[in-house]
Parts: sequence; structure tokens; C-alpha cells
Amino acid sequence: MQTPKTEDEKLQMFFDGELAPEEEAAVRRSLEGSPEGAAQLREWEQLREAMKSVSADWAGEIDSDALFARIEGELSAPVVPIEQPKQEPPVLRVVPGRRERRVWGGVATGFAAAAAIFLAVVAWPGKPTTVPVVRGSEVLEVDFGSNTGTIFEVEGGAGESLAVVWIDDEEVGLP
Amino acid sequence: MSLIRHLLVIAVLLGGALTSWASLTSWASAQSSSLVKSDRTASTSSVPAEVLVVLAKEEPGEIDPQLKKLTALRRPPFNSFRSMKILSRPKLKLTPGKDALVSLPNGRRMKLTLLRVMPDGRYKVKAAINRPDKADYLPLLQVVASAGDPFFVAGQTYQGGTLVVGVIVDPKKTAQ
Repeated sequence: MQTPKTEDEKLQMFFDGELAPEEEAAVRRSLEGSPEGAAQLREWEQLREAMKSVSADWAGEIDSDALFARIEGELSAPVVPIEQPKQEPPVLRVVPGRRERRVWGGVATGFAAAAAIFLAVVAWPGKPTTVPVVRGSEVLEVDFGSNTGTIFEVEGGAGESLAVVWIDDEEVGLP
Repeated sequence: MSLIRHLLVIAVLLGGALTSWASLTSWASAQSSSLVKSDRTASTSSVPAEVLVVLAKEEPGEIDPQLKKLTALRRPPFNSFRSMKILSRPKLKLTPGKDALVSLPNGRRMKLTLLRVMPDGRYKVKAAINRPDKADYLPLLQVVASAGDPFFVAGQTYQGGTLVVGVIVDPKKTAQ
């Protein structure tokens, strides 16, 4: 179903020469019947002539055959991969990752430090379990009572110091 | 990030906890070891001992062949003696806290008491020499001696000579 043409559409089609002959004749009569219509018609005709003239000039300047030949040549040419320029990783994507790695590194370092401290404390040799052998003898305390005496140190066979308590015995004999 | 922070805090806390636990364990072990050592007095059974009663004189004479190994008796203050004779050589057992009595030829008695075994393995011994029911000669002597190494008590006059009493605790362990 063909919708009725508006006045503008009909004028546009008239101007483009697309109306049927009877419709074109009717539009022309309408336009030529009033001074405004006749003036508008003249303006459109002048505009159309100007456009045709410009189009002819452009068509003359452009070698369309050469243009199409160049396009077809480029289309048929082998595809050369375009080397992508090296792009620096986006800062907004790198920083969180580094920070995350840094934090995970901190966590790992924390665990490693804890393990190291744990092992150091547990495995660190404390006081030697084997006490060095102390040779000899020594006097800690002596009470000579009513007598007097002297404490000596004499060297043993292995060089050890041996304690000697010498008491000046003034009391002789049995009670 | 919140999870990571939590993990970091947990790591630090875990490290502290492990360190504290290890320190506590080490301390407890040390305490236990110390207790074991200090309790050796109670757990130590009797220790053999030997008392050497020697009569030494300045007159030239014989040195008992059994004493030749005791090189200490050839050094000062014993080197003035020219003869030495073993009068007795009683063997006894020292039990912690219990007195062991040795009769001396001059009528006195020597009382020996094992007080404790020191952490270094030496024996702490108390000695006293007196007449029965008397306490006027040598009321108290405390010595520490390693196994097999003697200590001497000398000076009592007897039969024109001097008594030299040597006490050797745990003589079988002697290295001499």
C-alpha cells in the first residue's frame, strides 16, 4: 500500500525528476502559478545545475580506474603482520600484583622467620650436656676445733690438685 | 588485602607462639635436667669408698709398695717422711645422709658422710675425726672429690710418727 506523498516529498521528487509525468505537470503548474513558487523553483534549478557542475569537475579530476586498480592491488597483496609496539604493562594492573606478591612474600618471610627461630631455639645447643670432668679434690669448709691446722694442695699423678688438711696435733694418746 | 593482612598477623603470632613454646620447652627441659641432677642425692645409692690409714715417719725406712702409685705422698708436705706403712685400708660404702665410721689406731674415729653428688659428678663429703663422744679435734671438714681422687687428713701423732689418712670415694673409677 502506497502512502500519500507529503508536499515536501512531492517537491523533492519533482526536483529529482522522479514523479510521474502527470504529477510532475501538476506540481509545475502549482509552482508556476504563484510568484513564491516560481521563485523557489528557480532557486532549486540553479542549485541543481551548480551541483551537477561541481560533480562534473570532481569526476574529471579523479581517475576512478586508477583508484580502483590501486585498491584491488592492495587487497591482493600478501598480508604482512603488523608488529605491535611493545607496550608497558598498565600501571593499574601491575601495582596490585606486585603489592600482592610483596605481601605474600612478607607472609612467607614471616613463616620462614618463625620456623628459623623455632628451629634455632629448639636445636640450639644449650648448656653442654656432658659436663667436663673435674678432677681432684678441694676443701669447701673446715673447722679445726681447738687445734690449728693448714690446708695444702698437692699434685696428684695426673696433675690434679688433691686436698690435704694438716692438723697440728697437740693432744697425744688415748683419753 | 584483608585476608593477606590476616595471614601476615597470623604468621607473626604463630612465630611468637612457636618461639615461646620452644623457649618454655627448653626451660622446662633445663629445669627437669637440673631437678634430675639435684635429685641425684636422693636417688644415688651407696658409693664405695676406701680409707687409707698410713703411718708415716721421718726415719728412713720402707715405703709400702701399695703406696707407690700415690705420687702425691712423695710431694710436699709428705716428702719429709722417709717411711710409710699402711696400717689399715678399710673399705666401706657411703650412703647419702648416713654416717660411716672408721676406727683409727689412735682411738679416734673418722666419720664420713656422703652429702650429695655434684652436677659435675664429684662427691661432696663431710668428714669429722674425734674421740667417741668428743668433738674437739676435727669437728668439721667438707670436701668435694672426684671419683678415685683422694683427699688427705694428716697430722695426728701416733707411735713416733704421723697418721696420714687418705679417703678415696668411688675408687674403682680412679684414673690414676
